Amino acid sequence: MPSGYDGFKYGADREIYSAAKVKALESLLIEKGVITGNTVNKILSYFETEMGPFNGAKLVARAWVDPAFKERLIADCNAACAEMDFPEGMSGAEGEHMRIVENTPEVHNIIVCTLCSCYPWPTLGLPPYWFKDPTFRARVVREPRVVLKEFGVELDDTVEVRVWDSSAQIRWWVLPMRPAGTEGMSEAQLASLLTPEAMMGVATVTVNR
Amino acid sequence: MKIQHNLGGIEGLAPINYEKQVFVEPWEERIFGIHTAMMALSNHLNTSTPPYPIEQVPTAFKSFWTWGHLRMGAEAMNPFEYFRLRYYEKWLGGISGFFVEEGYITQEELDTRTAEFLEDSAKAGAPLPSGGNPAIDTQVERYLREGDSPKRSYTGTPKFSVGDTVRVKNTFPVDHTRLPGQLRNTIATVVQVYEGAFTYFFPTEDGIGTPMPVYSLAWKPEDIWASALVEPNSLYYNDIFEVYLEAA
Repeated sequence: MPSGYDGFKYGADREIYSAAKVKALESLLIEKGVITGNTVNKILSYFETEMGPFNGAKLVARAWVDPAFKERLIADCNAACAEMDFPEGMSGAEGEHMRIVENTPEVHNIIVCTLCSCYPWPTLGLPPYWFKDPTFRARVVREPRVVLKEFGVELDDTVEVRVWDSSAQIRWWVLPMRPAGTEGMSEAQLASLLTPEAMMGVATVTVNR
Repeated sequence: MKIQHNLGGIEGLAPINYEKQVFVEPWEERIFGIHTAMMALSNHLNTSTPPYPIEQVPTAFKSFWTWGHLRMGAEAMNPFEYFRLRYYEKWLGGISGFFVEEGYITQEELDTRTAEFLEDSAKAGAPLPSGGNPAIDTQVERYLREGDSPKRSYTGTPKFSVGDTVRVKNTFPVDHTRLPGQLRNTIATVVQVYEGAFTYFFPTEDGIGTPMPVYSLAWKPEDIWASALVEPNSLYYNDIFEVYLEAA
């Protein structure tokens, strides 16, 4: 990052104003019976406990240890999700039609939504800020290798880069390569190695992260 | 053409900001939750897939609100504002404006209460009102679990087949589109014809919103960008509604 870079932090006055405005809006909506005093908290807790990248991590770990499951996951992501011990609703909001693409030594996949921020909620939860940022969305569709390098992923020119954009209803995500040195690991140990970024194609999976 | 429709390939931008948080300020969680509740309580859900008994849900919300409405609002913004505002700042402006336009609250109520919270830290720190009918929250959770699928059965024949070369039409979107601008007037190859047909939340001026085939298309980068801008050994894929395509 350039020196003096302050990320997405804006002036304190601007944040204080937005915080006051959203609280004003939410309190008025509760008073008028649009939502309840619990609605927003319930939604947020749903994403902490039921829909999140912990689901995607379990699916990838299972695919790494079970080649037949991997085939089914690639052929029909939603059906493979239904095989898992997940909460109901793995084909719910923003996951009605999910697809996973596999990274190999020959092919590296990366996801983007240039028009907005489409993302597979059931397997990955909510998208991180960099994915929603117009800078990423504008750049990755033309110069994915340069962008990947900024993320720390250097690919040889012999590796084909595939960029998956989401302008209709398919929600894409990435099955990363299993790292060396994980041969004896359990599914749970393997799942703990996975990050959202690895399942979006901007990071590789490492044992000592 | 608005710049928001044509982000792909803009040059001269900064390095990627690798901010991994979903929310960078606590207030952002609240507007995300309000938007999600609105989608879960939208009046179209009695005819969605799956259908919900939405008219029996005891909410005062009686409007039509979907991702399409949120996106259309962002696409309608002044482009300088679009880039000045952070992601959830755009949501806060669009959604609060919607509640005023639809008459659920007045601008004065919103401004007065916002000013109260800005002026009085005790009020700003006090808990939100409690209560409300729990059946509202039951519907919200059901929507999260069951979704709102645009997939429909299709009895027609898709115009294109796997392996066909297609041309993306040179459309000029007005309000809202699902066609990224950099793809206009380019050539692509059909790699998959998705089963069934896909509708959109509402009809757009550029023709989506009735059930139609959607194709997975692949582009060679040299078919989108000038050769000097092309990276080696890469492919770009996108899922495109049939109405945006013609035979090449």
